[in-house]
Amino acid sequence: MIRCIEIALTIPDNEAETAASTLRRLGLPGIGVSRADLYRFDVGPEGEGPALLDAVRRIEPLFNPNKHVLRERAAAPEAGEVWVHEIAHEGAPREGQVRIAGRTLPGVRGIERFTVWRLDDESGAPASGEAVAKAAETLLCNPAFQVATTS
Amino acid sequence: MSKRVGIVVFPGTNSEEETQRACVAAGLQADLVHWSWDLARASAFDAYVVPGGFAYEDRVRAGAIAAHDRLMQPVREAAAAGKPVLGICNGAQVLLEAGLVPALDGHTDRPQAAFARNAPLGKYRSTHVWIKLALPPANCVFTASFEAHAFLPAWASHGEGRLAATDAVLERIGRESRLAFVYCDANGNALPEAIPNGSALGAAGLINERGNVLALMPHPERDAWTFMHSGPAREAARGDTPAMLAPSGGIELFRGLARALEGES
Repeated sequence: MIRCIEIALTIPDNEAETAASTLRRLGLPGIGVSRADLYRFDVGPEGEGPALLDAVRRIEPLFNPNKHVLRERAAAPEAGEVWVHEIAHEGAPREGQVRIAGRTLPGVRGIERFTVWRLDDESGAPASGEAVAKAAETLLCNPAFQVATTS
Repeated sequence: MSKRVGIVVFPGTNSEEETQRACVAAGLQADLVHWSWDLARASAFDAYVVPGGFAYEDRVRAGAIAAHDRLMQPVREAAAAGKPVLGICNGAQVLLEAGLVPALDGHTDRPQAAFARNAPLGKYRSTHVWIKLALPPANCVFTASFEAHAFLPAWASHGEGRLAATDAVLERIGRESRLAFVYCDANGNALPEAIPNGSALGAAGLINERGNVLALMPHPERDAWTFMHSGPAREAARGDTPAMLAPSGGIELFRGLARALEGES
């Protein structure tokens, strides 16, 4: 079973603001950007209950309740989103594939980490597929070692 | 009149002063070129060095935001004009993100490779290294005056220095002589255990086709004088101030730049 947990900042996100201002200069005027970390867990029966969310909430390097919000979400990008993750090149760091912040979680057989970039147009609606693709191609994804997935 | 080198400073750059000192010690006039400068003023240099640090806090990816900064316009123009452009550490990441290296097929509009998270642990490392010239010296403007297979000391100080690219790009980097420097031991032997970060091809530095743009991950400017060195030469200099202040091997890359610029005048 696949479960996805998203962790986003509730405080201003300088990285997203910088990405937005850069994308505006790269030909996407009016674009708005928000960002989240997403962990895609491959879990066995032991990892199917609410204990997984609780376990992730207790990992301080990942989740600080004073500045983060955590939720379980669908395992695919929504409109306006691009998910970026690293290609597992031979010799690439592999620690994160079964451990998260140095820990194993009950019932978890594998972990992939993504950055979720959520793009909005001037009206606040999800950006068009064309704009999302351009943002990924020009800035958000380096295809030499990353993959971008859109809806 | 000495040639002018522009040391490109973005918000978050932190190695500009030692880079400037290494250039000056090599006989160059080196000025800090800040991101807020007027572009006409920023364009008036004979060569550029993009130094190490964390430009724009490495937001999005190491080097990604700086690669699109307006200050990269004069750097791109210099690269296209054949002027020397050197990127060190974060500067090397910027040059790869900008597409200026390896620039296969002459494409400079998209990154074709990256210096990605170190392997196997994905963690920052600061360690003394040696790097060896991996191509004929004349293929790179910075090394044209070097002997074949010359090797230099430097410090690797990065969390993202592993050359990463598709298999096809890596094959072409090797076949088309874009691999400028590889990691080696203190005797110049390119051994797997000398690679501090899991870099593909053992790569420490890449160049573009023309050889005027060099992206180098380790810092030669941090081994420019003996007191910065790690090894027998430094131990032998203990208690001997003039010996400690004598140039070390890393200065040679900047002397190479100076000789290249002298050759143009």
